[in-house]
This record gives sequence, structure tokens and C-alpha cells, in this order.
Amino acid sequence: VSTNLPIVATRSTARNRDRLAAVGFLAPSAASFVLFVLVPTIGVIYLSLFDWNLISNGRFVGLDNFAKLISDKRLWAVYGSTAYMAIAILTINVVIGLGLAVLLETRMPRILRTTFRLSYLFPFVVSASAVALIWRFLLNKDFGVLNYWLGLVHVPRIDWLGASAWAPISVIVVNSWKTLGFSILVYVAGLRAIPAEYHEAAIVDGAGAWGRFRHVTLPLLSPTVLFLIVINTISAFQLFAEPRVLTQGGPGDASRSIVEYMYDAAFQSFQLGYASAIAVTLMVVLIVLTALQFAVSRRWTFYS
Amino acid sequence: VRAAAPVDAVAYHDKVLRFRGRLAKLGVIFVLAIAAIAIAAPFVWIVRGALSPNDGEFFRIPPTLFPDDPTLDNFGKALAKVPFAKFVLNSLIVAGTITIAQLVTCSTAAYAFARLRFRGRDVLFAIVIVSLMIPIQVTIVPLFLVMAKLHLTNTLWSLILPPVFSAFGIFFLRQHFLSLPRELDEAATIDGAGHARIFFSVLLPLSVGALATLGIISFTYWWNDLLMPLVMINDAATQTLPVGLVLLAGRFSTGSLTTIAAGITMAIVPVLIVFLLLQRYIVQSIAQAGLKL
Repeated sequence: VSTNLPIVATRSTARNRDRLAAVGFLAPSAASFVLFVLVPTIGVIYLSLFDWNLISNGRFVGLDNFAKLISDKRLWAVYGSTAYMAIAILTINVVIGLGLAVLLETRMPRILRTTFRLSYLFPFVVSASAVALIWRFLLNKDFGVLNYWLGLVHVPRIDWLGASAWAPISVIVVNSWKTLGFSILVYVAGLRAIPAEYHEAAIVDGAGAWGRFRHVTLPLLSPTVLFLIVINTISAFQLFAEPRVLTQGGPGDASRSIVEYMYDAAFQSFQLGYASAIAVTLMVVLIVLTALQFAVSRRWTFYS
Repeated sequence: VRAAAPVDAVAYHDKVLRFRGRLAKLGVIFVLAIAAIAIAAPFVWIVRGALSPNDGEFFRIPPTLFPDDPTLDNFGKALAKVPFAKFVLNSLIVAGTITIAQLVTCSTAAYAFARLRFRGRDVLFAIVIVSLMIPIQVTIVPLFLVMAKLHLTNTLWSLILPPVFSAFGIFFLRQHFLSLPRELDEAATIDGAGHARIFFSVLLPLSVGALATLGIISFTYWWNDLLMPLVMINDAATQTLPVGLVLLAGRFSTGSLTTIAAGITMAIVPVLIVFLLLQRYIVQSIAQAGLKL
């Protein structure tokens, strides 16, 4: 019994040491968390209960802002266009990204592979406002290069940025053009992590290229697919720079993102309470979507 | 002669297969090349515009690879119109400080979550995971009010302080620390090292790659952000590059589009140079981020 005592003693001093160290190691992040995440998150919920326009004193209105939101036709339209653009961007990244990643991983000279990879990735590190400004020129209805080329194959001029059917498509194209390289690279890393023996075993079993893709690559890649779906959903619902610079959200609300709508409510018409209520809905949407993706993913992701 | 026929047939079949394989390979490279050109062409075109003597040449149809009578005047005009060097400097300060601050807060917190045993650890980590789903856009209104109250709006502090906490960074580095063998810490503990020394002299030196990954991801994100500076900064001289470009294209523009092209080019070329220098690390960073989560 007596021989056990010192061990117990060291264990409890180790515990104490851990506890003390934890305070020190967590202090910087805890302080910044409280100041810039916790307080603002409580703040946005609190503000959503007020009618406040910066100039006058705030007035407590309970859930009135949310009642107003439900009957706000523009909010529903904006959520509609945001969801449309988010789903399209997500699909392009997850599907076309996978296709290009698989092609990129076929045998080819190294210099070609590096060149392709770098050119796909480059727009990802360029600021969205620079990218959107370039495309604003390219997509111009009258002097844009895109319409000129389409004209060569007898496509009539398209009002890419001014027609309500085309404006969201322009935002989708420009945003996907910028983010696709990121998804491709994440896929490439996922593909490389699949052990070659699995493919060899499938070949021995007589599987063709498609069979191997369907029954070896896809199941083993499913965690990567999930990661990309979650990341792309969250970032698609944060869409702001592209619609702001390309179309100003228009025409009407055809290409307006929810962040843009909230920004306008807060900093153009100074309805801070109402803008906070919009932000609260966005927070709920993001948490529900992410939780849903993880719940659904249990059924189809395969962790080896 | 007759016996040779089947061999010929096999050889012929082989040849067809090899030809089809080569054709497929060419097809793959063709598709990849088209995608690469579609991504590179707009950049080439904007540089061409920046070198064009006038808007007519900029938007010349059909576009040529090189403009007639190229000139560098547009760069001077862009620099004269907006405080461009100031934008770049501000962006560097903001993105650089945020990156360093995040590396400090995230690595220390990640160490606590990966290596220390204390009550409430799992609850705190769950909170980190939940906050991963609350992007800064959601809390921008109260953040603006807090910064205004502290008289920090219109200063770079209002851009630097809010992103100092990063749930993604903590999560990412914790995963990394968990992948390092615990025997290393134990050996150091036997040698009498405390947690501070284990953290600084054992784990951090083994984490240069992971720290670089996080640094690159957070630097690019905040270098490119448009929303925060638009909300927090009202004064052109304190603006960052993304808003600066929009200012050049909008409020401050007086007609000439080649000037805007020059501004965009000046914003892109330094990024391209750094990108090419660091490309191996950037590629690795993104690959790691995808694999580790």
C-alpha cells in the first residue's frame, strides 16, 4: 500500500500542473473568444429584439423584428437567390472539382501537372473584388469579350449582369471560377491518400476503370466529399464580394446574397435591430445545415 | 506463314489498344488545358488592358495577345488617383498581424486541448466546434458597435482584433498535435521539462509545416476580405486593397478603364510572385487542411 502512495501523489501533482498550465495556455484564445465571439453573438441576439437606427434610442420590441422578417417578401426572395447560388456553387465545386482532380491524377508529364495545378489554384489567392472587377469587364453586354465570342457562334448578346435570369448565373460562374482550384487540390490530396493496394486488388478482381472509381475511389473519398460540402456550404452562404462588385445584388434581388441584404439593412438604412434579426436567421441556417450534413453523412461516408 | 497470323492479330490488337490509350491521354490533357486556359486568360487579358494606351485598344475586338503601342502610363495614373501604396501597406499590416496573432492563440489553445487534462475540457472544445459555424458576417453588427464604442473604427485595429480568435485554427492545430507521439512529451517530462518547455521546444519545432499551413490560409483569407474593411473603415487612407480597388473602379474613377486595369494588375502581380515562390507550401497547406479535418 505504502508503495502506491508516491504514485498517487505524482498523479495528483500532474493533475494540478495540468490545470494550472491549462489556464495559461487557454488565456489568449479565451480572452479573444469572449470579446470577439461570445459577446458579439449574445449581442446580435440581444440587438435583434430592438428597433434601433443609431440616431434615436433603441426601443425593445420583443420578437417584432422576426415577425416582420416572416412577412418580408424581400427576405424570402434573397434567401431564395442565396440558396440557388449556394447550391450551384456547391455542386460545381463538388462534382466538376472531382472530375478535374481525377483527370489531374492520371499519368502525365510532371511539368504539365504542376502547370495545371498552379493555374487552377491561382484565382483562389486573388482577392474576390479584383476577380469580380475583371469579370465585370468580360461580362459586359456591349463590349465584353464573352459576348463577342458567343456572337461568333451566332448566340445573341446576353445581358450577363443586368438580366435577372443571368445575373445569379454570373455570380455562380465567377465564384466557382475562383474557388474550384481549392476543391480540386483537396480532392487530389484525398485521392493520393487512397492506398494503391485497394486499386490493385480491384484490378485483380477484374474491375474496370469505372468500377474502380465507383467501388474503391468514391467510398474512400467520402470524408473528403463531406469536408468539401461543409466548407463550400458555409462559404457559399458568406457570399458577399462577388454580387456586391458584379451586380450590386440586382436586378431586383435576383443575385443578392443574404450577407449583402444584412449589410444594406445595417449600414445603408441603419436598421441595426432588423439587420441583427437577419444575422440571427443566418446563424440558425448555418448551424442547422452543418448539423444536417454531419447527420446525413453518417449514412454514406466511409472512414477506413 | 499461317502460324504467324494469330501473332499478327494480337500485335494489331495491342497496337489498337495502345493507340486508344494514347488518344484517351491526349483527351484528358486537352480537357485539363482548356480549363487552365479558361482560368488564366482573364488575368492575361487584364494585364493587356493595363498596358493598352486607351480604352479602345483595351476592348479591341477580337482581342490580341499584345496591345498596339503598349504604355506604362496607366500605372502612374492609377497611383495618382488613389493612395495605392497605402492600401497595400494597410493590407499587409492587417493580414500579417491577424496571422501572427492567430498562430499564437490557436497553437496555445490547441496544446491545451490536445495535451492537458483538466475539468471542462470537452465542453470547452465543443464550444470551439460550435463557434466554427458562426462566421464573422453573423456578428458584424455588434462587432461594429463595440469597435465604435472603443473609438477604433477607422483604425486598422478594428480589422485586426475581431479575427484574433479562430475556431478553425484551434481545431486544425489540435488535430496536428494529436498526431504527434505522446512519448516525446513523456521523455521531456522525465528530463524535467514543464508544459511550457514541451510546447516550445518539443511540439512547436515539429509543427512548422502545420503552422505554415494555418498561416497561409489565414493570411490569404484576410488579405482578400471585403466586408470588414467596408464596414469598419470610412477613410480612404486607412482602407485595404480589396476596397481600394473598388474605390478606384467606382467613386474615384474618371472614365478611363485602362487605369482600373492598371490598378487590378498592380494588386494581382505581387500576389502572383508570392504565389509562385510559395506554391509548394500553398499546395501542401490546402492538401493538409483537407486531409486533417
